[in-house]
Amino acid sequence: MSAPAPRADCVADPEGGLTFAVTAPGGPGPAHLVLRLRGGEQETRLPLTPAGTGRLRCALPGDAELPEGRWDVYVQTADGAPRRLLPGLNDLRRLVDRVPGGAGGRVAVRIPYATKYGNLSVRSWLRAPHAEAGDLHVGGDGLGVSGRVYGTSLTEDAYVEAVDREGAASVARAGLSADGDAFHCTVAYGAPAPGVLDLWLRPVGEAGPRVRIARLLDDVADKKLVFVYPGVALKTDHGPVVAVPYYTTDNDLSVAVTKAD
Amino acid sequence: MQISFLIHNAYGIGGTIRTTYNLANTLAEQHDVEIVSVFRHREKPVFAPDPRVRMRDLVDIRAGGADAGDPELDRPARVFPRADGRYKQYSALSDRRIAEHLATVDADVVVGTRPGLNVHIARQTRRGPIRVGQEHLTLDNHSARLRATLRDAYPRLDALTTTTEADARSYRNTMRLPGVQVRAVPNPVPAPAIEPADGSGQWVVAAGRLAPVKRYDLLVRAFDKVREQRPDWRLRIYGGGGQKGKLRALIDELGLYNHVYLMGPAHPIEPEWVKGSIAAVTSSMESFGMTIVEAMRCGLPVVSTDCPHGPGEIIDDGVDGRLVQVNNADAVAGGLLELIDNGALRQQMAHAALKNSGRFDPSRIAEHYESLFAALVARGGGTFGGRLRGSLHRTRGALLEGAYTVRDAGRRALRKGGTA
Repeated sequence: MSAPAPRADCVADPEGGLTFAVTAPGGPGPAHLVLRLRGGEQETRLPLTPAGTGRLRCALPGDAELPEGRWDVYVQTADGAPRRLLPGLNDLRRLVDRVPGGAGGRVAVRIPYATKYGNLSVRSWLRAPHAEAGDLHVGGDGLGVSGRVYGTSLTEDAYVEAVDREGAASVARAGLSADGDAFHCTVAYGAPAPGVLDLWLRPVGEAGPRVRIARLLDDVADKKLVFVYPGVALKTDHGPVVAVPYYTTDNDLSVAVTKAD
Repeated sequence: MQISFLIHNAYGIGGTIRTTYNLANTLAEQHDVEIVSVFRHREKPVFAPDPRVRMRDLVDIRAGGADAGDPELDRPARVFPRADGRYKQYSALSDRRIAEHLATVDADVVVGTRPGLNVHIARQTRRGPIRVGQEHLTLDNHSARLRATLRDAYPRLDALTTTTEADARSYRNTMRLPGVQVRAVPNPVPAPAIEPADGSGQWVVAAGRLAPVKRYDLLVRAFDKVREQRPDWRLRIYGGGGQKGKLRALIDELGLYNHVYLMGPAHPIEPEWVKGSIAAVTSSMESFGMTIVEAMRCGLPVVSTDCPHGPGEIIDDGVDGRLVQVNNADAVAGGLLELIDNGALRQQMAHAALKNSGRFDPSRIAEHYESLFAALVARGGGTFGGRLRGSLHRTRGALLEGAYTVRDAGRRALRKGGTA
């Protein structure tokens, strides 16, 4: 019988850092924790140091360079091939209702999670600037969005736009009321064609950058299944449709417009 | 002592399985313990037992396993009672293997973990070992047919354990069990391997199957009232199940989608409890109330309905949590708001919950069982005296069977017998 698969407990800090405690890495000599970007070449190696009771520890600091994506987590001893880690206890309480300092004008988010195959991976987001979505308000004619910006400032020209993903055309534009870095706006649906509308913030108006509105600052790796909203029925030139706000697999805010039967 | 547990399937997941492992692992520190699983459907158990606990199985139903295709598997069981909910999984083969096991079992104490297996143990254990039946569910939730079967078989046990005093009283009051020790022994819940909650967050947490009995619809409605007064607090409900669609619709109908979240199932659950500051239970019935103890061990005061059977025996109302009226959303909201609005009280109850839930530690629960087993063994299990006593109370049980209608008169005598 093979040795028990190594496992890692994980503790998240409010600045995006993660501490891993690995059990039973197997094999002698120095060991490393290896993070590999799924579908990419990039790899981050962190030296593991003894932490008592047979466990090894390492820390991924909040300011470490970890581009956005899914990172699979392995342990590798001096003489062996990397072995995939199983998740242990993920202590993510410091991520709930997280308000990051926004040091360096960027927001770093790392959320460890168990994959559908039961392995340990880390979702990473790195955004500068960032527009965080908070409460949504589903109204009869539009979607209310409360949020906050990081790494940028809201100007008088700021607005939110809904962009048709297929045609990349802006189909709706909403001015916003701002209070410091917090904002609120109501994006009118109008009469959208079936498809997907992505929501973007333009903090300094048309001339400046586009910032994707997303929900990143908590402990939920996959928002789609947890942050669920009712739809509204709309009459359009394309026939009756239903518009439902949702979070994409990358936790960006979009609106799905589907034909109502 | 040599202690032998008999369990439906030690390779799966579920409350009874977890409880049995927790208990067996702790007893194994002092005693020789084995877990005998009637069925085996996979290579390795989901929960790893302590290496000191021996594991074996009686019927190997793995694809290509030793018993795959055995014609006896298709013939219905005759000893395992038809009224047990698992009847369909049992067979002539399981009947035979369990009988062979119990006829030769090398143990001082044999412990059954569900009604059907307790019936096997009562009827088929060789003379000698102490026969203990565990009830993880409750008597008043058993069907009339199952109750009749148990009434017949349980007088042949030496001891019957329930998870609550309330359920133990039901057995003492409605079943003639002369000479049978009826004891309430709560389920063990280990200390979590994570720091307890610090109570700083504004989250209420609930966890359980999304089943009608859990009444999460009541919790969602109660939270609508909480939101009116404290929109800064939110609710997470962990778990999966058939009520999900209805709950989703209710959340949307009440416009609570920014306040109430259906989180889906979470394993392990402890890291989720510690994200909350208050736990909520709104069930109409809890045969024990495992999640209440889990939440308390994670440092959360629990607001729970005072439903049968467990909550009132776990929570010390006003000290380490709150008990509120069943099926009353206002009462649930009131209990939650009391703790939400009073941070000092909440912290005080959180500390009390952490401290008081220590009585459910596996080491403490194992002590209950040890003293029960030791007393029965000393009384003469495994000896001629024990055998004599065994056959004697079996006869008394049969004699008393006819006297069922004389309830009140019998109850007094029964209590005496039960606590001898």
